[in-house]
Amino acid sequence: MSNEVFTQLVDAHYAALYRFALSLARNADDAGDLVQQTFFIWATKGHGLRELAKAKSWLFTTLYREFLRGRRRDQRASSLEDLPPGQQDIAAEDVDRVARLDAATVMTALQAVDEVFRAPLTLFYLEDLSYQEIAETLDVPIGTVMSRLSRGKAQLRGALAREEAAGRARIVPFPAAKGGHS
Amino acid sequence: MTNDEAKFLLNAYRPGGRDASEPAFASALQQAKSDPVLAAWFAREQAHGAAVAAKLREIAPPAALRDAILAGARASGGAPLRRWTQPAWLAAAAGLVVLLSVAALVWRRAVPTQVDAQALAEFAIEDTAHGRHGGHGAATSALQAKLSQPATRLMSGLPVDFAALKSTGCRTLRVAGRDVLEVCFARDGTEFHLYVAQRAGDAHAAEQVGSAFMSKGGLCCASWEDATHQFAVVSGASLEAVRRLL
Repeated sequence: MSNEVFTQLVDAHYAALYRFALSLARNADDAGDLVQQTFFIWATKGHGLRELAKAKSWLFTTLYREFLRGRRRDQRASSLEDLPPGQQDIAAEDVDRVARLDAATVMTALQAVDEVFRAPLTLFYLEDLSYQEIAETLDVPIGTVMSRLSRGKAQLRGALAREEAAGRARIVPFPAAKGGHS
Repeated sequence: MTNDEAKFLLNAYRPGGRDASEPAFASALQQAKSDPVLAAWFAREQAHGAAVAAKLREIAPPAALRDAILAGARASGGAPLRRWTQPAWLAAAAGLVVLLSVAALVWRRAVPTQVDAQALAEFAIEDTAHGRHGGHGAATSALQAKLSQPATRLMSGLPVDFAALKSTGCRTLRVAGRDVLEVCFARDGTEFHLYVAQRAGDAHAAEQVGSAFMSKGGLCCASWEDATHQFAVVSGASLEAVRRLL
């Protein structure tokens, strides 16, 4: 693969990969590292032109595996029974709430969703992968993806409501002093 | 199919109609057309999904990430190896022994034993310009204190315990598949950023490799190596100020 093709591959997918990584890793530095590591693996494993059609799925799969490899497993999965009443179905207010919130707050809410639901949910909202491709990427059955999407959406609605409530209660601080370097 | 079953399926239906031709959704979509309650739920669900998706698209990657990916690929020995994709090469792989030999050869070439010095310098400048710096830990603080002392000459041997720094919270980045530590420090009111990568433990490792300098975007970088580490130090001060550290 030429440098030009590799650059095109990076340009086509790095933004979506970063958003997926940010939802998993929950901080920008680790997310950037995950994306960089994913493309590094692609580069060093010598994937060729004939595999470009599968590049998108491969990149998301590899990023997810790298994430799993890099952190201690904590796959506690909550069930719908754990959710507070009233969050199991969608209301018109849920739709309006998303429109009111800014992108960073929506991402913060997404990051609050249990990881086992968060990964398929983020891939779903990125809209790059179908449910079958999400199942392949996460190496779970299709039915599991559907179940996790359903539960994840319920958790996300709860998290968005909490973020909005917290935003209303938040006191705006004075600007912090510059600094903070290591 | 009950409405609950239809909802279960339609939860995986992406907003925007990209799954409209997917047979698995056909009967559930049909039911949503004929059942007003399900239709209302589906409309809310799609609107919610579209709103979340739009918010996610607003999140932009860090400005330096794309360049870091491309620089990392270059530092790993170039773009992916074309030879893997050529039919002639694949045909030649019929013999297992040949295949294994070539694969071993390719592996040795493809996997970097260390970060290329110039790539480290370029990355250090880019990260200083755009990176979100921050690190903590006793080992980091001790190294910062040492670096901040006017008498410390960086090329005279720094007390770098790479594993301890990394494990206790020193800011760690990935460059070409290798960990690189970054420590900020100040001298005489000027801020500097030191980047440290581990050097491969091969037999040809020199005791000390002389310094090289690079300037880009108003930042100056000096890079050098010793027997165990590669270093780059970056500052927005003058090249002379960087040189005085060494």
